[in-house]
Amino acid sequence: MNKQQTNDVILQTVTKVACFIILLFSFHLFFAGHNNPGGGFIAGLMTSSSFVLLLLAYDLKTVKNILPINFIYVAATGLFISVCTGIGSFVFGAQFLSHAFGYFHLPLLGKTELATAVLFDTGVYLVVVGVTMTIIQTIGERE
Amino acid sequence: MALQILLNVILALCWMFLNNDPTAVGFITGYAMGLFSLFLLRRFFPRRFYVLNIWAIIMLLLIFIKELLLANLSVLKTILAPKLKNKPGIFAFKTDLKADWEITTLANLITLTPGTLVIDISDDRSILYIHAVDIDDAEKAIYDIRHSFEETIKEVSR
Repeated sequence: MNKQQTNDVILQTVTKVACFIILLFSFHLFFAGHNNPGGGFIAGLMTSSSFVLLLLAYDLKTVKNILPINFIYVAATGLFISVCTGIGSFVFGAQFLSHAFGYFHLPLLGKTELATAVLFDTGVYLVVVGVTMTIIQTIGERE
Repeated sequence: MALQILLNVILALCWMFLNNDPTAVGFITGYAMGLFSLFLLRRFFPRRFYVLNIWAIIMLLLIFIKELLLANLSVLKTILAPKLKNKPGIFAFKTDLKADWEITTLANLITLTPGTLVIDISDDRSILYIHAVDIDDAEKAIYDIRHSFEETIKEVSR
């Protein structure tokens, strides 16, 4: 495929700032998930959409240099974390996947509710990022 | 480095607006989140991740304080010695720092650590002429400056 080399200077410059804002928004969605709309799944999709914007503005090789991550391992790590939080409830004599929460005083944030569901959500988040990026990169690599 | 800090502040402001949390805590949380996303995409920038530069600045400050203490002690020794045995001298120090602020910082650091004093800088800004109160070995003095100050300044501007 010999496409005419276009000058994507506007797209690339906007991407440089926009992808960070999308990434930040995905973190916001991730932490909003407990009390508001959001959560691990949509945050993972949003994060990968930020990476997809990078893929659109630059080429596959550049993005692989920027993010030298094998996303299959990301998905595997996420699955591992989710299963571990499930198994972790056995330690406290509870049923599989039962979750707990508590109120803690963190040094800066003050009184914060910390729930083990967030750890499970982290797993979901990583699986979604890993799977989405693997799909897109694999399709993109094929001629 | 300035671009990355600016982007990080903008991200922190974005975080404050997203969470409807216009407090210092909201800003710090957003700054941490922005820092994490900058770290994730750190290869995106032509310069390296800016926290390393800030770390280098802190190291430069610490080295400066250490050298200040040590050099003052050595001057104290020279002053309180019953007989003046010190050998003053001027030596040339060839630097490969380029930017104006780098040379100025190096000259100020050399001057502020007692025992050495920058007299002049050559026209092509490659040689610093330094006066030393007690100079046994010019080679050693050059080596010391190169490895304490010059390397650290280079690390800051990398």
